[in-house]
Amino acid sequence: MLAIRFRKSAPEGGRAVLPLVAGAPLPEGWAASTAAAGFRAGEGEVLDLAPGPLLVGLGTPARLLDWEKAGVAAALALKGVEAVIEARGLGAAEAAAMAAGLALGAWRFEVYRKTPAEEAPPRAATLLVDDPAAARAAWREVEAAVKGCLAARGWVSEPANVLTTRDFVRRLRGLARHGIEVEVWGRKRLAREGYGALLAVGQGSASPPRLVTLRWKGRLEAPPVAFVGKGIVFDTGGLSIKGAQGMEAMRADMAGAAACAGAMLALARRNSPCPAVAVLAIAENATGAASYRPGDVLRTGSGRTVEVIDTDAEGRLVLADALHHAVSRLAPKAVVDLATLTGAIVTALGHHRAGLFGNDGALAAALAAAGEATGECLWPMPIGERHREDLRSDIADLRQCQAGRFLPDASHAAAFLEHFVGEVPWAHLDIAGVDTQDEAHALGPAGATGFGVRLLDRWVAMHHEEEDHHPVAGAKA
Amino acid sequence: MPDIAFVKAALPKSGTLVVPIAEGAAPAGLFAQADQEAGGALARALEAAGFKGRKGQATTLWALGGFTKVVAIGLGKEAELDAAAAEAAGGALVPALAQDREATVLADALAAPLAASLGLGALLRAWRFDRYRTREKEEDKPKLERLAIATADPNAAKQAFAPMRAVADGVFLTRELVSEPPNILHPIEFAERCKGLEKLGVEVEVMGLSALAKLGFGAMIGVAQGSQHEPRLVVMQWKGAPKGRRGAKPMAFIGKGVTFDTGGISIKPAGGMEDMKWDMAGAGTVVGLMAALAGRRAKCDVVGLVGLVENMPSGTAQRPGDVVKTYSGQTVEVINTDAEGRLVLADVIWYAQERFQPRCMIDLATLTGAIIIALGHEHAGLFSNDDELASRILAAGAAVGEKAWRMPLGDAYDKQIRSDIADMKNVGGRPGGSITAAQFIQRFVNTKDGPMPWAHLDIAGTAWSSKDQPTVPKGATAFGVRMLDRLVAEMGEA
Repeated sequence: MLAIRFRKSAPEGGRAVLPLVAGAPLPEGWAASTAAAGFRAGEGEVLDLAPGPLLVGLGTPARLLDWEKAGVAAALALKGVEAVIEARGLGAAEAAAMAAGLALGAWRFEVYRKTPAEEAPPRAATLLVDDPAAARAAWREVEAAVKGCLAARGWVSEPANVLTTRDFVRRLRGLARHGIEVEVWGRKRLAREGYGALLAVGQGSASPPRLVTLRWKGRLEAPPVAFVGKGIVFDTGGLSIKGAQGMEAMRADMAGAAACAGAMLALARRNSPCPAVAVLAIAENATGAASYRPGDVLRTGSGRTVEVIDTDAEGRLVLADALHHAVSRLAPKAVVDLATLTGAIVTALGHHRAGLFGNDGALAAALAAAGEATGECLWPMPIGERHREDLRSDIADLRQCQAGRFLPDASHAAAFLEHFVGEVPWAHLDIAGVDTQDEAHALGPAGATGFGVRLLDRWVAMHHEEEDHHPVAGAKA
Repeated sequence: MPDIAFVKAALPKSGTLVVPIAEGAAPAGLFAQADQEAGGALARALEAAGFKGRKGQATTLWALGGFTKVVAIGLGKEAELDAAAAEAAGGALVPALAQDREATVLADALAAPLAASLGLGALLRAWRFDRYRTREKEEDKPKLERLAIATADPNAAKQAFAPMRAVADGVFLTRELVSEPPNILHPIEFAERCKGLEKLGVEVEVMGLSALAKLGFGAMIGVAQGSQHEPRLVVMQWKGAPKGRRGAKPMAFIGKGVTFDTGGISIKPAGGMEDMKWDMAGAGTVVGLMAALAGRRAKCDVVGLVGLVENMPSGTAQRPGDVVKTYSGQTVEVINTDAEGRLVLADVIWYAQERFQPRCMIDLATLTGAIIIALGHEHAGLFSNDDELASRILAAGAAVGEKAWRMPLGDAYDKQIRSDIADMKNVGGRPGGSITAAQFIQRFVNTKDGPMPWAHLDIAGTAWSSKDQPTVPKGATAFGVRMLDRLVAEMGEA
């Protein structure tokens, strides 16, 4: 992460960055060129007056998110120099939000570059503020979520020959140094517990499946919130193999698990009082002699049997066992799962919103609000009676999906998952359209987004960090 | 189609009897009397047959108590007994009476409006399209000619039923238009059938190619130019506002009427192409809605506009890469000739605003395959620039069992239809395909002179049903007629 400093006065060197609200007076000496360039300080507008200052437009900022986005825009526009941001006159929270944006925008995944890319982002940023101590305190509040998000982006970016199931688990064990308890179940334990769905998905790979449970104790005497993540380190589709084109993107098919782990890291880093657990279903969906087949019937950990129709609909299978594990073993007050689950959600909502499904209106509304606040936007989607009926099987308790074209597969997947959560308030975020972006966007550069980390962290902060804020809802499991 | 009659509550001596029963309810009223006369045999037989009164449950008993046949129909839970439940029961009795010419429904326990709803449900389910069957065996034809609904207050039920009957006729007109094969129902024939609304008091105006060319409907003409059938724009006006409210702005409904959609030069694959005869369902729905409103003499002004074209590949067809100028003046780069519905709507919507300055505008279209992938067949996709209009549509749909689901709009999606050569292109790629289609249409909603509440219903997943539903036989559903009739009643007539 780029180094963030808060100072009262400008250091030597660096590029000056001037955030400008629409209608505010233009910087002295630059008014003419600014006007000539047609700069109106609109939201996301950037004008580089090199060697003079970089102007970043904010439009009419209404939320801290707008200041964050201005930070992102500045970081995306600056190349290889230290940024000196004029934040005097702003509140500590606005300055910290700018810092968060700078960090999100300056992130790059450069593990595998021998020489850094020419368009290198700034390595450090100094924010000029009236009260550095106050700004630093505000920054500490938001820094944790930024670091969690960047950690998730890093995991998602790693190629699948490096980030195998074992390697992912090794990295997750590293969370222990932040006070997170890490428990790992391998094949033997999974077999003993009867987690047949996760085992089946992972059985075709040389890299064995794992179920990882992360626990953050917090301080409150309350049942934990639970995050459940799909962690398919690579998805070939299995025997129902995917087309070659674009298959490389399937290294990101563990973005749900990465987001859950990143959110746990964020909670731990800012020492959240809220107890939280994360259950990550980690496997590689490979094609091989041992692969599971279309037509197979699996017995899940919950005892329900599932007829496999398409081995490329593997995410819902591993989540079935992970969700069951969360609700039956960890007594959560609410469960939120994140998964790059379906192509259908991309057709439905594109790359600007994730699909939000669930069984609890209040939980869904709270998550949607946290999404709007962090710029990780959701949109509610239905689980209808017809979707449920479509999953009836001739041979098992459930069929995994339907075969054919023009199918509401995102809703089918959600209707499938619903069977494994019982009565616990539950939400499912289908993040298949937002886990990576092809181009730079409002919250970062092209590549992994870390979508979900800041949303979950914010949701916990808004709803689960006060003793009596929310009564324990409906956790009957 | 059976005749629905409301008769005095009296127990017939013989024939076929239909008994609607709520979940767990003991025999009451006329049914109790029939059961008593049969020495309790009816109630015992129902219990033995596992009849519980669940919604939609139908159990047939034979030769008991002097009746040829007794059909018990479940009403569901008594506490949840509403119009929808009564309609569903009415629908459920139809398949059970396929071979009966007449039957009597013992609806004496139902309030008059619910008895009427039951009649409506039966009527809606009994419709079928058999115009092109020439050799159907007598035993395969449904026989039901008369359904007598015995109710405590037949006059009140009749009164409640009259407007329902008019709406059902609108539904049937839509179903018929949507079912007609594309060699019969081309744009010119479709426009002719719209003329039929004149006898209900609707003013109908038909414009042909030269008039459209003169107006500058470049987008709609571009779609039509590959076909030997000329395009038609039909404008229907229902002027039902009472004296005091005359001159108020009308509500406007706009329908996509592609009588057959081959995809054009961007031709569709062969499998399933026959379904594209119902690519005019948006227009069919608007016509049925106008018939429903006129039929029940709705007390407000409504305009309906349908753009009728056939999308064909040929030497004169529009090409991918063509740039067309819409009636609004905006230009469109045609990337995919199979995204033609939005091109038709663009011109018609702009025209509707210019000519009528409506108070709100709702368009219906079988617009995208993407909406089926997004929502399936239970909900239509609803897009709107106005939260109040959107929630009224959602509520009206929920009330009549034609459900919609709100989908998002936004600048980020709008960017996907930017063109390098024109004001916009007609597709925005696979991601968010229904949303970018809606964004395209929204560019033709004119909010320059003030707000223009607009909603777009993507009915590609709901216009046609592959299976029977309680009040909708499989095939053309006429989805939207009842929803929008309700909307007009609540927004325009209240």
